Amino acid sequence: MIAIFKRELRAYFTSPIGFVFMGFFLLVAGIFFAWGNILQGNPTYSGLLDSLTFVFMLIVPVLTMRLFSEEMRHKTDQLLITSPLPITGIVAGKYLAAAAVFFLTLAVTFSYPILMSFFTFFGLAGWEIVCGYLGFFLMGSCFISVGLFFSAITDNQLIAAVITLAALLVMWIVDWVSQNVPTDALSGLIFLCIAGAGLILLVFFSTRSIPATAVFGAAVGAALALTFIFSRGSFEGIITKILSWFSLVKRFYAFSAGILSLSSIVYYLSFAGIFVFLTVRLIEKRRWA
Amino acid sequence: MRKETALIQVENVTKRFGQRVALDSLNFTVDKGEILGFLGPNGAGKSTTMNIITGYLSATNGTVKVDGHEILEEPEAVKKQIGYMPEQPPLYLDMTVADYLSFVCDIKGVPRQQKRENIDRALSMIALTDVRGRLIKNLSKGYKQRVGVAQALIGTPPVLILDEPTIGLDPQQIIETRNLIRELGKEHTIILSSHILPEVAAVCTRVLIINKGRIVVSDTPDNLSKGMVGDNKLTLRVAGAEKQALDALRAVAHVVKAQSLGSREPGTVDVMVEAKREHDIRKPVFYAMSKADLPILSMRAMDVSLEDIFLNLTTEEKEVSST
Repeated sequence: MIAIFKRELRAYFTSPIGFVFMGFFLLVAGIFFAWGNILQGNPTYSGLLDSLTFVFMLIVPVLTMRLFSEEMRHKTDQLLITSPLPITGIVAGKYLAAAAVFFLTLAVTFSYPILMSFFTFFGLAGWEIVCGYLGFFLMGSCFISVGLFFSAITDNQLIAAVITLAALLVMWIVDWVSQNVPTDALSGLIFLCIAGAGLILLVFFSTRSIPATAVFGAAVGAALALTFIFSRGSFEGIITKILSWFSLVKRFYAFSAGILSLSSIVYYLSFAGIFVFLTVRLIEKRRWA
Repeated sequence: MRKETALIQVENVTKRFGQRVALDSLNFTVDKGEILGFLGPNGAGKSTTMNIITGYLSATNGTVKVDGHEILEEPEAVKKQIGYMPEQPPLYLDMTVADYLSFVCDIKGVPRQQKRENIDRALSMIALTDVRGRLIKNLSKGYKQRVGVAQALIGTPPVLILDEPTIGLDPQQIIETRNLIRELGKEHTIILSSHILPEVAAVCTRVLIINKGRIVVSDTPDNLSKGMVGDNKLTLRVAGAEKQALDALRAVAHVVKAQSLGSREPGTVDVMVEAKREHDIRKPVFYAMSKADLPILSMRAMDVSLEDIFLNLTTEEKEVSST
């Protein structure tokens, strides 16, 4: 894993990609800082990270698109997979390398609040800033895990980048969408039925066994029906709840307001963990194609 | 007896890509110290077989064991024993040769203190020492290919699997690579694939011909040529009339068949003579023809090359499967 991590980290800086990512991110962060804080003499710093979220989302694909696509394009994945390294180690090494580049970039921007602290009379909201950075890093790690997954899907970097961007944008707008969906119990039921059907299909395509799918489908159907009959109220507003699970950004705003919540940290870590795990599964599965 | 020495056991391996059957219950073993040549037309399943043995792909059915370890159950134990050079050498173009080999040492778990020795050994064996500091992307195709072989040697695995090691090399390099493989064969068990037949005949101790995912034949190169000839055939060019020549030849002891091949030079006739394998008829034929006053202008044994065998076997298969 360490070997992969080291090689990957070096590859970021022997190709322009690492510099493009860092350069662009720091340029935008610098402009925001200059405009928002220095020129206006504004001591509130945490707004900067909020405004950087969207810009960062746009350049995550640059960071992640080559991770596996390039290996597949040059067939170097054969070297990695036939080496004694476990696949989990390969995926983790690559993920950590991308996360490290992101961390380094973010660490550079940490000099801004330090710089500001020399010039403010009232002191900075230090806790909010540290919390905001932690949240931003966790959220970014999730974005990167999504990018990692999509780069393992195709050997074309451009396609990997576009799909990653699309997925991240969906997670971005899901927040607004969830505010404007119907909240009554019946719509909740319909939504869950559609989601359940999707799950059943997923079970079918991953097991290819009709009895297993039937059992699973019956269980899902029974659970939905029973809940609807006995506790109709729990379907109210369920669409909003489910959709907001996928909203990575919303939890970040709590961080930058200085609220450190364990559940959000666990949420981000498990979100990234799930996507790394899915990447491992995807690569393992490809052997059986 | 055989079990003890078999290093690689491939049992009933079948691989399907969707509906297409790439390998159809393949069975073979490779003994320790063998150099096995995999021969087959493009798309016969050579690379797929190699990819399955090395654990890059999984077989739809069947098992592969290397030194008693099953690839799916103990992947690490198997992968440690194999140095693999895929069809397209897996090179990171933005690294130098030395950095690349050092990375390969790391992923193969070569201990730090043996790293240098491993890299130097691979570089000198493949004659790459003078390009060690160059970026791989700037190397010629032949050199890239060699870096691919060097990579397989890292960690001195007991088994080397080389997928078309000489493809894209110039004749000089091909000869060098062949010598290298022979040299490596002293310490390693090697499986190599090729569609260049003389290469296989030159270096391999055993040849496995596969076509359409099935093993057509498995034997030593020598036996293959012999088995194919079946009988002992000569072609002669005789100065004289066709009928006389044939009559004279048929009178020779042990001759089974004499047949005219037509005339290619005025006043001569070309004849093919066939005899049982255990009899050398060259001398009797000479005396008989000399007695009949039909001078032999040329005589040569009909040699069957691996090419003939190969074409024969792979096309025979086609006929069988089409009927």
